[in-house]
Amino acid sequence: MICPHCNKRNYPGIDSCSNCKLDLSSFDVPVAHDRVERSLMEDPVGVVKPPPAVILHSSTPVSKALDIMIDQNIGALLVVDDQNKMLGIFSERDMLNHVLDDPTDYAEKPISDYMTEEPETVRTTDRLAFVLHKMDNGGYRHLPVLKDGKPIAMISVRDMLKHILYLCNTH
Amino acid sequence: MELARNLKVESVIRLKPTEDYRLLPEATVSQAICLMREKKIGCVLICREDHLLGLFTERDLIRRVLARRLPLDSPIQQVMTPSPEVVSPTDSISSAIRKMQEGNYRHLPVLDNQNKPMGILSVKRIVHYLAGHFPTAVFNLPPDPTQYPPCAEGA
Repeated sequence: MICPHCNKRNYPGIDSCSNCKLDLSSFDVPVAHDRVERSLMEDPVGVVKPPPAVILHSSTPVSKALDIMIDQNIGALLVVDDQNKMLGIFSERDMLNHVLDDPTDYAEKPISDYMTEEPETVRTTDRLAFVLHKMDNGGYRHLPVLKDGKPIAMISVRDMLKHILYLCNTH
Repeated sequence: MELARNLKVESVIRLKPTEDYRLLPEATVSQAICLMREKKIGCVLICREDHLLGLFTERDLIRRVLARRLPLDSPIQQVMTPSPEVVSPTDSISSAIRKMQEGNYRHLPVLDNQNKPMGILSVKRIVHYLAGHFPTAVFNLPPDPTQYPPCAEGA
């Protein structure tokens, strides 16, 4: 970052010029180049209207969870305990990874045996670019959306792509 | 850097489709599960001599095998998605996203001009491409005190 006042070459991202102390923070703010970028950088999770999370008790049998996933056409659901505290996420990938452990009696097992514990989450106030990075870093297709610490929705890659396509088409 | 324009101009090959793993139609569902777990992938191609017959995905496993309580030694050709939607390496990224969105697919086989499979375009590659556009947007997000734990680990 070259200081616009004294031309001193500074480290990228530095708050103020190491030579003349000019405040550089306002020069480093990323700028959106089109409406897709602007939406991803500025809009919070709620803009893509993620569907309400489907929440099941940890003792629910796998067969019931699979039926619900097919009926509602979803790839993942949330697992909670008696106090409605989130314990984990149950997804198609969990079934792929664990079904061969009990190839004959998986259907009767509780979903807590198959879920992924303590999933990554996002908050309703997080920006879409942040969500995108979280999905990319962890390879997640679904992230529970929390409001005041409680899961209220599930945002998926599908929701993100739908939003981006909508912005591209109306450009 | 303009994302909307790049999505229309850049082609599928730019996303570096991932290597495809193949099974014969006679293979069993268990063999497919083992291959998908070993390679950490969500779909395999069902081919005979470079000819794509179908696709088997995690979703097919849930919908067509587990939900119907079919035995895991069933042949894969009974439960695969026959003649799946495909893309060409020269198709635009936005057209690939549209195909995924319309059919609710997470994987599209990429076929060359002789209709031979040359890879799989997964939705993960698209997310990776999109996320790559915004490194600064995320690194420079204003600090948020609630993102940090209230006390140091182990304290």
